[in-house]
Amino acid sequence: MNAVVTLLIGLVAIAVGYGVYAKSINKNVMNPDEKKATPAKMYMDGVDFTPANRNVLFGYQFKSIAALGPITGPIVAVQWGWLPALLWIIFGTFFIGWVQDFSTIMMGVREEGQSLGALSYRFVSPRARTILLTFIYFYLLLIMGAFGKIVGYDLMTNPAVPLGVLLVIGVGLLAGQMTYKWKMDIILTSAITVILAFVGIWLGTLPGVKNLFLAINGGETSPVVFGSVTQAQFIWSLVTLVICYFGAILPIWRWAQPINYVAFWIVFLGIAAGTVGLLVWRPSIPADFPAFTNWNGNLCAASDCSGLEKTPLALGALWPLLFVTIACGAISGWHSLVSSSGTARQLESEADALYVGGGAMFLEMFLAVLSLLTAVVGVGATTGFAGYVGMIAAGKNAGVFAVGLSEMMSRIGVPTSFGLPYGSVFLTLMALTIMYLVVRFMRVASAEFMGDKVPLFKNATFGSIVALLLSAVLIYTGFWARIWVLFGGANQLMAALTLLLITLWLMSKGKSYMWTLIPFVFMYITTIGALLLTAYNTIHQVMTTPGLAIDLVVGNWLAGLIAIYLVISALILGWDSLQAFQRQRAASVEAKAKV
Amino acid sequence: MSLKEIFEKNPDRRYIMFGGKGGLGKTTFSAATAYWLAKRGYKVLVFSVDPQASLSDIFEKDIFGKGPVEIMPNLFAQEIDADQRIREYQDEIRQKILDMYGLDQVPEEIENYIQAAAAEPAMEESAIFDEVVDIVVSGEYDYYIYDLVPLGHALYYLSMASVYDQWIDKITGLREEMAEYDQVAAVMRREKETEEDKILKELQYIKHRINASSSILTDKVKTAFYFVLIPEEMIILDTQKAAGLFAKYDVPLSGYIVNRVIPPELAADNIPDYLRNRMEMQKKYLHKIEQTFGSEVLTNVPEFERDITGLPMIERVANALFEGQR
Amino acid sequence: MSFPPFITRLGRGVKSTFRTLAEIIYGATIHEMVRDLRKERAHLEHLFILIVFGDILGIPILPPYYTLHLLPYIAPNITGWKRSLLRERDLTDLCDQEIG
Ligand SMILES: Nc1ncnc2c1ncn2[C@@H]1O[C@H](COP(=O)(O)OP(=O)(O)OP(=O)(O)O)[C@@H](O)[C@H]1O
Ligand SMILES: [Mg+2]
Repeated sequence: MNAVVTLLIGLVAIAVGYGVYAKSINKNVMNPDEKKATPAKMYMDGVDFTPANRNVLFGYQFKSIAALGPITGPIVAVQWGWLPALLWIIFGTFFIGWVQDFSTIMMGVREEGQSLGALSYRFVSPRARTILLTFIYFYLLLIMGAFGKIVGYDLMTNPAVPLGVLLVIGVGLLAGQMTYKWKMDIILTSAITVILAFVGIWLGTLPGVKNLFLAINGGETSPVVFGSVTQAQFIWSLVTLVICYFGAILPIWRWAQPINYVAFWIVFLGIAAGTVGLLVWRPSIPADFPAFTNWNGNLCAASDCSGLEKTPLALGALWPLLFVTIACGAISGWHSLVSSSGTARQLESEADALYVGGGAMFLEMFLAVLSLLTAVVGVGATTGFAGYVGMIAAGKNAGVFAVGLSEMMSRIGVPTSFGLPYGSVFLTLMALTIMYLVVRFMRVASAEFMGDKVPLFKNATFGSIVALLLSAVLIYTGFWARIWVLFGGANQLMAALTLLLITLWLMSKGKSYMWTLIPFVFMYITTIGALLLTAYNTIHQVMTTPGLAIDLVVGNWLAGLIAIYLVISALILGWDSLQAFQRQRAASVEAKAKV
Repeated sequence: MSLKEIFEKNPDRRYIMFGGKGGLGKTTFSAATAYWLAKRGYKVLVFSVDPQASLSDIFEKDIFGKGPVEIMPNLFAQEIDADQRIREYQDEIRQKILDMYGLDQVPEEIENYIQAAAAEPAMEESAIFDEVVDIVVSGEYDYYIYDLVPLGHALYYLSMASVYDQWIDKITGLREEMAEYDQVAAVMRREKETEEDKILKELQYIKHRINASSSILTDKVKTAFYFVLIPEEMIILDTQKAAGLFAKYDVPLSGYIVNRVIPPELAADNIPDYLRNRMEMQKKYLHKIEQTFGSEVLTNVPEFERDITGLPMIERVANALFEGQR
Repeated sequence: MSFPPFITRLGRGVKSTFRTLAEIIYGATIHEMVRDLRKERAHLEHLFILIVFGDILGIPILPPYYTLHLLPYIAPNITGWKRSLLRERDLTDLCDQEIG
């Protein structure tokens, strides 16, 4: 099949999903009322509630939901073959993803812009709110683990990358100075800083620079420092944490925002160039690239692993694991948090909800398909399936995207010698920009929850360091693939909780709710299955693998315990939701009886 | 130096204040000074900043809340009606809100606030304070004579003026920081103009008002501040303390005036013991005053046989004050 | 000079497409920054209202006469201010960040 056909399938899915299914749900179930004042208008306070134009909100929603998730998930999931991943991306978005994002916005708008925490408290149970908060905390911690490993283990260990990343950060700081302090024109600032960032990335690829960083890494094959962690991994993970530290404690305008701004252009231009390149190239999916490998995602059963230094870890059973491996890009619980506390409070008109919530989700689906193609054709068409297997075996999950993207960009004349580090810098920045916001967030969260008991947590530096130490434990231990699945698990539990909330809310309003109830049941059962399986896999692995490196032992136990914790709280949530259902049923029967 | 000489030598001192504890003769001296200056051809306004003003009593004319009232040629007196001013001011604020937002009724919450603010004890004082600013900045008169409130209050005014000043600087800083955010946001949105912060402008106005008043109080060139005291032990001690405090606030002290000195010519042989004792006591304290304040004591004003009311009596006090010998 | 209608229509179409794209990019980048600036500003505004109109410390921050003088300008904020002071917040309120 041709890659362009895949994209076309994606477009058709969007046309039908958005144009037919979503529109009819919007019209027949939600009945948005254009004339009704939204919370953004009613409670306009300049802080949380401020109306914004629909296109602006679309951009806001999209950048809030689309980050590393939709890019990495599909690449990892290709281990089961490209077809299951593609189908889940499309059908997940079609039946669940947009449903959640859009409905959360509508629920937020109709419930006076209340936060998801408050709504869980009201509609499910008081402890549902607490459980949601712990999901969020674990989700954030697991992001740190998953993304931190990507950055420190995969991307920055490439000696052509670190200088580029550091220089782009420097350029970001300059951008902050130019806008916030010197108050320079934003277009001029953008032009100057984006050009400088490109120069920075190019400087990083110079041979002298590469050799310098190679020396820092301790040579082509970096020596092991402890367990299975090499010197390069150790150093660059540490650098990552330091960068996050600054992002967490410096004022947001000084560090996080301007760097994110410059990073946006690098990402935007990269994706634009990659897409155009793909259209120019129009490659076919290589014949040796399996549509389906095997149920356990075991690459070595599908390809010859004999020449590889490390054998890749078999992911495990396709159901349930695929459905948490790709979260963002199909359905992701985090989106609902953005939708309720961010977007719902800025919506100008109820009629905009579908365009903003649904539209952004379908666009993210498109991004996920594109990312899938970087692995399947970008890497596949140049180095074959074996090339993909080799990279996954070496732990270069994100590297797959960088290689694939640079292949696509090369079709419009960007040399891979620049395109490859560009792709890596792009991904590194994408991860970093999220990571320091996560640390920031964890810092605020710990100050809020622990600050009264342990006043030290109110100190920004202390709170950040605790968050970073916890992250460091995850980054330096365990298998990345397991952390990724856990990350997806925490995320999908939030999705399940949100779908449940929406269902209860629809019931309370006397609207039809099967279209959210079924996704809820599916997500709930699948995620619990995935977490149980991960708990079993991690603990089983420690028990049965003799001579496992100490970092992997620690990491596996940790992952196993987190999985068990998530399962237990999910079960409590299930119990509470059953009762909430019965309550809601009784209430609606009563209401009918009255009429 | 006598009071008359001081006035003649310092024609720039156009703001005249008499301070001292309650009931010692501040109002009396304000009226007498105003009378004396008016007689010499200056246009004078004597006004009361005391809610319990007594200018009406001394001039035997109801002037409360009537603006500057002409008592005799060149002499004007004014008693501020704080309540009336507050009421008018409330209406003004209400009207402004209605105009600014095109409402036809002030929202309840805001209305509650307006009423609560008016009920605050400090409201009356601050309303008078503001009116004084209006009066003195107009510059219509050659002399402004403040009939001050008793010591404690005057000190309170002075200290609050500097506290307010600091507060205003702080909150002005806050507004400026806010304006900075606006400017950056405008740069990012590529908007040319930022809306100027009206509150910032108002704060500057308020600062100006408060300073106008307090700077007069502490202006060495334009202001003369006299302490009124009587020959009594407690009063001397209190005056000493107060003078120290006033100096701390940079009030230009121009001298002390001793009131209610029993005329020495009463000291005949066969006067009652009561009177003799009092006179001896006064003598002792006058001596103490001399020791404590020295040459800054400008004049002694005798105790008159009756209350000081009506222009003829005021004239007598004025003569004692300005023409009398120590 | 006048163009044939379809050219003007095309021109308008291109223009509005660009506009939409610019708005979306604005939403994905600057919008959040401006929002944060406004949030910061609003926090200061609340602080301002609190110290000028809230009498929190029991000491007169400004003479009440002058406080009233400022009232018309902050009148629209007072209700919003009370709301946002009283509104219960939890962690999920802070989740409008680009994470995930
Ligand atoms: N030298 C004097 N001889 C006789 N009576 C006097 C003399 N000085 C003041 N009085 C009388 O003393 C009373 C108090 O005087 P006055 O009102 O001037 O004091 P005050 O300092 O202004 O008081 P307050 O602090 O209450 O304003 C008045 O009745 C006044 O007539
Ligand atoms: Mg008096």
